[in-house]
This record gives sequence, structure tokens and C-alpha cells, in this order.
Amino acid sequence: MSDSALKITDLKKSYDTGVEALKGVSLEIKPGEFFGLLGPNGAGKSTLIHCSTGLAQPTSGQIEIFGHDAIDHYKEARKAVGLAPQDLNLDWFLTLEESLDYHGGYFGMPKKERKERTAELLETFSLSEKRHERTRTLSGGMKRRLILARALMHRPPLLILDEPTAGVDVELRLELWHYCQKINEEGTTILLTTHYLEEAEQLCSRIAFINEGEIVASGTNAEVAERFGTSSLEDAYLALVGRKELSRAKVEVEDEEAL
Amino acid sequence: MTADQIRFFSLIRREVNRFMKIKRQTLGAPLLETFLYISVFGAALGSRIDKLQGVDYVVYIIPGLIMMAWVTNAFANSSSSLMQQKFQRSIDDQLSSPASPMELLLGFSLGGFLRGGIVATITFIVSSFLVDLPVEHPFLLILTFLLIGFFFAQMGVLIGLRAEQFDDVAFAQTFILQPLIFLGGIFYSVALLPEPFRTLSQFNPIYYMISLVRYGFLGFSNTNIALSFAVLIAVTGALFAFNYRLFKRGYKLRA
Repeated sequence: MSDSALKITDLKKSYDTGVEALKGVSLEIKPGEFFGLLGPNGAGKSTLIHCSTGLAQPTSGQIEIFGHDAIDHYKEARKAVGLAPQDLNLDWFLTLEESLDYHGGYFGMPKKERKERTAELLETFSLSEKRHERTRTLSGGMKRRLILARALMHRPPLLILDEPTAGVDVELRLELWHYCQKINEEGTTILLTTHYLEEAEQLCSRIAFINEGEIVASGTNAEVAERFGTSSLEDAYLALVGRKELSRAKVEVEDEEAL
Repeated sequence: MTADQIRFFSLIRREVNRFMKIKRQTLGAPLLETFLYISVFGAALGSRIDKLQGVDYVVYIIPGLIMMAWVTNAFANSSSSLMQQKFQRSIDDQLSSPASPMELLLGFSLGGFLRGGIVATITFIVSSFLVDLPVEHPFLLILTFLLIGFFFAQMGVLIGLRAEQFDDVAFAQTFILQPLIFLGGIFYSVALLPEPFRTLSQFNPIYYMISLVRYGFLGFSNTNIALSFAVLIAVTGALFAFNYRLFKRGYKLRA
């Protein structure tokens, strides 16, 4: 097995609009890690994920997934990745069962295996009763669960979750956390982007901060906080985005002084 | 089946499933439309029109109507399916899979090709019951239909790929495809037209296609058959190669 689940070297991406979304990002995620990528909106998180999964074409740099090139000769690399995107990008025409079945087909899974895996995942995500319904009839939370199920369909060793809990209720968020922790313990490497710092603190063994297309810090939660001279990840994040005045620790001290 | 074959078959299966799910719209409506043409132009008006090049008017137009069924449905399916999946972003599921640009292109185009083929075949079968429709050159006819269907499926892919908003596809269908079809000689013989329309028609690719189809069914043609066939192969190959380049570049698919 390769030493890295995902290895990104000097990745640059400029869009036709002239926006330089990634300015030479290098990042390495080891097999079995639960890795968090944090940063403000527009920092380059989704672009990095899109470049790694073929949805965007890098301007320069290298991406390897379990040792396989993910840019030019991407077949093996793509087989190893499951992507749960930020957008609820389900096909309205398809039923839940078909959504999973076609996905399995794109990854070359034989019919019997697709059928069994579909039933298993729909059961796991409490969607079995809806299996013959079209995806457009689902609630937001159900769509979110189906998207995660679809990403897991072909049993990828690397799972990429792009803000998987955005807009979901507390119950579903905890449910998704438990499931992700479980599959991570079973050996799946996970790359998670999130805006919820609590999520990163709870789940991730290592994190990286990305801002304006550059990785500005990486390491364990404590290491990243230390790098910014703060005691919590939240304060480190606020330092990163230049909004230290919003620090809850600072607000609490000011409140006490006012009393 | 190998993993590659399963993937390719899944891409096509998905497209076929899409139009079969809404078959009232994708198969029923075009069939009704074709039979309305046959009723109005063939039965109602046709009885008042003299024979054209020695055959009854209704028999003269049916080859063109069968071709039109394949052309419009191949185009409509490929363009709308690709556009819808682009707008929903559900296409990302295919784009992030191991599928190659060639597999993706064929997946999108063969769905439309097959839908056009089904409508055209049903039209042919039912027409054969209604009128005595000869098939003079079956081999050439099948080959011509396959090429025409593939060409317009590719055309649909190109328009769907370029589309930025819903009416881009409708615009191409109404303002480009429809006039080319109607002015290409499906309902009349271009030889009957006055100048300069007769010469202008020769710049319309549909003119050569309908000539080939009519030759396959009825055994006569206004154009040089070998030349028409060569042109059809050349334009189909060129369009396919052009689309392949766009898919390889990820044009309007990958950011």
C-alpha cells in the first residue's frame, strides 16, 4: 500500500475569470487518517476537492491517490475515491435505488454486488422505505444521507466529504458523525471540509487551515491553535480570518470587567 | 462482463432509463406528431397532389418523416439530457467516476440515438401497414439511418454542452434544426423549387440526407448517391471528433 492516501504537490488552479483559487498547495493525508480542511468561504477548499476528483482541471501540480496519478491517468485514482459533494446533486429522474445502482455501475461493480450493497446502504441510512421513490421527493436531510450512501457505494478507501453537515439538524449531524467515525475506525481514510470547528475537533486527527488558496497551518488541533498563539481552534480560526475581536474568550473577559 | 463494460453499459442504461420513464413525452408525443403529418399531408392534402417522381405523395413523404423522427428525437434527447444533468450538477457523479471522455460522450449520444431509432422504427412499421412502402436498398438505408441518427445525437450533445440556459436548446431546435428540416425537401422535391431556392437548398445537409433516405426506400434520388454518402460520413466523423475534443478538454463540464 502507498504511504499516502492523498498527496497533493504544489497544486495551482486559476479559473478563466482570472481568479487564482489555489496558489501552490501541498498536502499529504496518510492512510487511515480523519483529516479536516478548514477555511473561510472562497478559501479554496472545494476547488482542492474538485481538482482531486476530476471536477476541475488543475493549472499545474500533482495529485496522487494511494500512489495513483489523479490528473492524467486517473482511472485507478478515481476508483479509490468516494465524493459526497456540498451540493445536493441528485438526479431528479432517478429513484434512490437507481441512484446507487448507476453509481456502482460507473465504478464497474457487477449487478449482484450492486444490488446487495444498495440494500445494505439504504438500510444503514434509514432510506429503505423510500427506495422506489424519485430523489426529488426527499427531504433535505434524506438527500444528504443518500449522497453519503452514494459516495460509499463502491467501497472507496478514501472518502471526501465536502461540508456534509451543512444545513442538517442536530440529530442527523450526530448520526453522520457516528457513521463517519465508524467507517474511519474500519480503515477508510476521510478528508472532511467543514465550517463547524466543533466537528473538526470531535472527528479529525489532523487538520489544515486554508486561506486565499494557500495552506497556512496544519497539524493536530493543538498544534494549529499553538501556531496562532491561541488556546482553541476557534480562536485560531478567528485569528486566521482577522476577526480576533469575535473571540468568545475575549467577549467573556470584557463581560466580566463590565460587571 | 469486465468493469469497463459494466461502466459503459451503465452510462447508456441511465440514458435509456431517463427517456423510458417519461415515454409519453419522449416516445408518445413524437409518434403522434409523425402520424398527424402523415394524416394531414398524406391523406388529406396528398389526395389532391399529383404523383411526385412517379409515386403517390404520401409514399413520397413517409421516408422523410421517418428520418425526421430519428433526427429530432436524437437531437432532443441528447441535448436536453446533457443540459439537465449539467444544471442539476448530477453529471458530477459521472464526471468523478473512472469513465473516460470517450465513454461519457458515447453514453450521452447513444441515449438520443436509441430514442430516435425507436420512434423511427415504430413509424416505419406502422407506415408499412398504412401504405405500400417499398424498400429498394435496405443495406444502404440502414447504414444511412445509423449515420444520420448518430450525427444528430452528436449535434444534440454539442448544443447541450454549450447551453448556459434552458432556452439555448429550444433556440437551436426552433431556429436552426426545424428550418433546416422543413427546407431540406422532406415534404417536397427540391427539383420543383424555383431559383435561387433550388441552389440554396444544396447548402443544407438535410437535403443530402433525405436524398439518401429516399433512394434507400424508393430507389431514386436528386443527388449523387456516392457523393451524398461520402459527405454524410465526413460530417458525422468530423462532428464526433470535435465533440470528443471538447469532452477531453472538459469544455463546460469540468471547471
